[in-house]
Amino acid sequence: MSRFEAKKPSLCKTEPLTSEKVRFTLSVLKGILASCYGPSGRLKQLHNGLGGCVCTTSQSSALLRNLSVTHPVLKVLTASVQNHVSCFSDCGLFTAILCCNLIENIQKIGLTPTKVIKLNKYLLGLCTSYLKSEACSCRIPVDFSSTHIFLGLVRSILTSKPACMLTRKEADHISALILKAFLLTIPESAEDRVILGKSIIVPLKGQRVIDSAVLPGLLIEISEVQLRLLPTQKSSALKVALFCVSLSGDFSNAGEGTVVVPYQVSLENAVLEQLLNLGRQLVGDQVDLVLCQKVIHPSLKQFLSEHHIIAIDRVGVTLMEPLSKVTGATPIGSLNTIASTTYGSVKDLSSARFGSKHFFHLIPNEATVCSLLLCSRNDTAWEELKLTCQTAMHVLQLTIKEPWVLLGGGCTETHLAAYIRHKVHNEAEDVVREDGYSQAELRIATEAFCSALESVASSLEHDGGDILIDMKYGHFWSGQSDSASVVNWQDMLSRCGCGLYNSQEGLSWSFLRSTYHPFAPQKCLSQAAVGTASNLTVDCFTAKLSGLQVAIETANLILDLSYVIEDKN
Amino acid sequence: MASLGSVTAALRVTEVLEAIASRCVGPEGGQVLCTKPTGEVLLSRDGGRLLEALHVEHPLARGLHAIREKDSFTSENTQTHQRHWKNCCQWKCISQALLTFQTQILDCIVDQFLSRHYLSVFSSSAKGWTVCRRSVESLLEAYFCGRVGRNNCRFISQLMCDYVFKCMDHESVVEGLELVDNCFLELNVGVTGLPVSDSRIVDGLVLHRDFSVYCPADGDIKMVMVTEVLQPPFSSSKSEFVLDSEAQFQASQCWIVERTKAVMKHLQSQNIKLLLSSVKQPDLVSYCARLHSISVVECLSSEEVSLVQRITGLLPCVLPQVPSQGEISDTTLVKFCKPLILRSKRYVHLGLVSTCAFIPHCVVLCAPVLGLVQQHESAFRGAFKMLQQLFTDLDLNYIIQTNAQRDSSPLACNNSRECSRPPEIGKYQDVIVKSENKLENTQTHSKAYSNVVASDTELKTRVTWSAHKETPLDTSQTNVILKCLSPEKNWVISDCELLVGSNPTGNPTAEDTRTEMSYDNVQVTSHPGKGCTLPVMYKSLEACTSLSYYCSSTLPAGCVLPVGGNFEILLHYYLVNYAKQCQQSAEATVSMLIANALLGIPKTLYKPKNGKDSFPQIYMRSLHALQTCQPMVSGQSGLEPVAGKYQLIASVIQCLAKILTVDLVINIKRQPQKIGDQDSEDELEH
Repeated sequence: MSRFEAKKPSLCKTEPLTSEKVRFTLSVLKGILASCYGPSGRLKQLHNGLGGCVCTTSQSSALLRNLSVTHPVLKVLTASVQNHVSCFSDCGLFTAILCCNLIENIQKIGLTPTKVIKLNKYLLGLCTSYLKSEACSCRIPVDFSSTHIFLGLVRSILTSKPACMLTRKEADHISALILKAFLLTIPESAEDRVILGKSIIVPLKGQRVIDSAVLPGLLIEISEVQLRLLPTQKSSALKVALFCVSLSGDFSNAGEGTVVVPYQVSLENAVLEQLLNLGRQLVGDQVDLVLCQKVIHPSLKQFLSEHHIIAIDRVGVTLMEPLSKVTGATPIGSLNTIASTTYGSVKDLSSARFGSKHFFHLIPNEATVCSLLLCSRNDTAWEELKLTCQTAMHVLQLTIKEPWVLLGGGCTETHLAAYIRHKVHNEAEDVVREDGYSQAELRIATEAFCSALESVASSLEHDGGDILIDMKYGHFWSGQSDSASVVNWQDMLSRCGCGLYNSQEGLSWSFLRSTYHPFAPQKCLSQAAVGTASNLTVDCFTAKLSGLQVAIETANLILDLSYVIEDKN
Repeated sequence: MASLGSVTAALRVTEVLEAIASRCVGPEGGQVLCTKPTGEVLLSRDGGRLLEALHVEHPLARGLHAIREKDSFTSENTQTHQRHWKNCCQWKCISQALLTFQTQILDCIVDQFLSRHYLSVFSSSAKGWTVCRRSVESLLEAYFCGRVGRNNCRFISQLMCDYVFKCMDHESVVEGLELVDNCFLELNVGVTGLPVSDSRIVDGLVLHRDFSVYCPADGDIKMVMVTEVLQPPFSSSKSEFVLDSEAQFQASQCWIVERTKAVMKHLQSQNIKLLLSSVKQPDLVSYCARLHSISVVECLSSEEVSLVQRITGLLPCVLPQVPSQGEISDTTLVKFCKPLILRSKRYVHLGLVSTCAFIPHCVVLCAPVLGLVQQHESAFRGAFKMLQQLFTDLDLNYIIQTNAQRDSSPLACNNSRECSRPPEIGKYQDVIVKSENKLENTQTHSKAYSNVVASDTELKTRVTWSAHKETPLDTSQTNVILKCLSPEKNWVISDCELLVGSNPTGNPTAEDTRTEMSYDNVQVTSHPGKGCTLPVMYKSLEACTSLSYYCSSTLPAGCVLPVGGNFEILLHYYLVNYAKQCQQSAEATVSMLIANALLGIPKTLYKPKNGKDSFPQIYMRSLHALQTCQPMVSGQSGLEPVAGKYQLIASVIQCLAKILTVDLVINIKRQPQKIGDQDSEDELEH
């Protein structure tokens, strides 16, 4: 077939959102995502029908990675959520559901895109300035003197991923481990600029979750044979040499010219001689441990072990940086002479056996690297658990940078919606005077925006319970709807979504889906309540704020589309 | 042969294209989402991109596309193209007339009539003439309104404006803009997954890669740039290295290591802390650099190397054969050198010290999706092009056909101070001719024109005078209709004087060639309350006896008009007027045709508006204002450059003329072979 085939004309569609098909696919996607949301979210099993591994998940990152969407509009949406997740790890489902809800709601109200975009932007501005302001009462400052909030944050993340299949006890254990691992990455001596270390997740499948552990330093997996080479314990610290060049005796940098080697000259011998010289120098410098990123020549290995030096090769490039951090050694790039400053040291080296695997355990003097040994019985649950741990670590890092958390469990969403409703209700005149839209238009758009936020919160309830909002704090409550009449909410409900307030405070409630009269949710958060409430559900501030912004920007972008041109080649 | 069918087919194609483009034009226009066959998703409001993505089969549209690539303006121009086509396709015979129109009439009209409506982005200050930030802001806002989504246009235009004012030295804006335009790919960093509002400007230069070796250092850091591997090669190319013994091999290996170490030691002794390399350095070099606490950045692209070179003037350093001897001269200082982390990716962040007109800053463009980052990037580049064009003069050449009627009219207007000057020096000023003789309008504009041929002293006094006069007017901006000033005068006043020297006053009469070097007009509306009316005297140009003469003038840098179809309505108005008084029917027809086609743009722009802002209302109001010589009122605050608009119209007409001379379209199965660029592979294929 000729390469010069004429290009097929593209397919150009006007106003993509008006098409019934697009609306339908959008609502299907929304259905999939919303049903995954929260601790009681339903799991999705992804498989390709041809065998291969099966992925059971409820996380947006795993879900969207494996889900292939075809429509360009959905591609924009999923790409935007995936990019958000790769930046912040958390709040992917929140972003996606909010974006879908907003698009759906706005299509119903029938304002022109220009106006809607302007209004959405204005409302988003209200949200972000409120969330960043001191008066915000759905934001809690992080108390660094206790682990209270941090544990709550980690536990919220773990419990919102039901595919990890953790029992309550296991969840507590893992959250404690994650927090411990995170704390180990913080350097003890704080300089002007804190550089966090790294915690490395070591997989150990087929063990009980409860067997997971955190160890300071590094674990390097080895074979059982190598284990026998381990010499007797040494009392003092061990001297370490870390090589980034290959010690296999290859000769790669011959240059561009021709090298002529006569028959009697053996380059192999020459190189080996060089390597052994290097070995002699290592012995002379009293090195105890040689680590090499690439391969070590068997003869050199033999030579080193004869001199009671442990040699570990094929460490791989990913471990080089942590190794350099743990030992304090500079990776050596030369075969000839080694400066004594490049050596590092470890406090101790021991062998360890976890399950069926053998490890060298490098115990550092003082370093910000630790290993999280993560166990799980099956592969899919392990993958999910690993992803969750990474998310939690990342979220903890973000929280260190911006030391606030937002109330979780849907309370932030309902509270924010109540705040916006009230604000717009009271200040609509001032806003309208500045920009070119009418008061009615502002009201309509606000309603669409707030109900989109509230629907995200109500996506948390999957069992057909009643969803309520209280008229004092604007928090989210859900309860079983077995009682036919609204008799006694106070007894039926126990705690709000985030766990901050209980129902015995003389509150009044309203159904979230019904229209309630705008009220001013109580400002200032009582510190006493935060202090006493155990098991608070909290969310990462940075991730959620950015998720909110991304969701609305993406919705605006999709609403702004006049054409979709599909290249059919 | 071209049948009637092909014309109607072409007409249909243009109608469809116009319909598509018209929904994306202007502040109310929407975005277009294009998917590539590779699955990539692009977002755009650029007419060229749109056409490219459409893969239109009709040959006329392809031609349109080819032409479109030449110029780089808003999507409006696509619109213009089509509008013209639609109207003109029926008029095949007039292609020649069109060309004549473009070369002669259009320039003339733009120069003579439109010029009095120009505003300028330059404003006066104590130091002379500076670029007015507010004008540039509204200019950019109008530009981005048509290029990026409604959601972000204000934010992006603010960002761009900040960037321009942070980066540009006020002395040589054009030079700086050229650099930014050429190197914008290296001057921006795209980050996906963050909201657009996180985009920002960072000081210094961000290289799109991480350090190979990073050794923290404080204070001023000395930097060198190399383009070769620092480790001596074992054997050099085109030579043979005969190894005689194993010892020799080991010795040469040793020597290489020692040499590399010596080079690094030498660098350290020269207090060099940062090494930029355009090639990948071997492990040994990185190792030695780390030992000598030198940070290394490898694999710089040639564009990055040349950018660093242009900013700092640093030449790639050739290290001496014998290390440890001789000073390394090609070094430069950087203020800081640190990693920059964006979305968990590390970049090299250098505080380069600039030696040119560009003060290094980088833009971090954030957006939720990649398509949006790309759209903003290309919009930025377009805006730099636009600004570049704005700050350069545009030459206009045309022939003025003087007839009896014009001969008697006052063609020149001189300032009272220049009364003593010979009349030839005075300028054509047909605006007044028009308004007084043909339109019988009451001329309320007083105009002061200075000429290049004025003597040095005169020029200087003029500058001070205009500056003085302008200042009070600035405060009452509504009253100032136009102030159009040539930037040359202020920026490079010495240049202006040089030009004066090289152009003896007596010259122009010989061939009746009028050369205006500096179109240095300050036009001020006289408003009674202020009493700023200048002593102006109109002198008739009786010496003009020849019937036609060539005029070459310039569209001065910095000329802008308010957005919202102002340019189109103005041009339409003058073209209609021209057509009315034109004797030749062909010319009149072409003028009318183009005048009407021009109106299509404001029509589209005002389509979503109703009531007072609807198109007929705006149009009538503008016409009324023009006829009574009142200032045109524009509802919008944005501005657009005249030069760009003018060039656009010119290229549209040329394209149109070219297309109209084609009488038959032949479909061939294979691509036309490129002449002189034949690929042997292509030949094999068939």
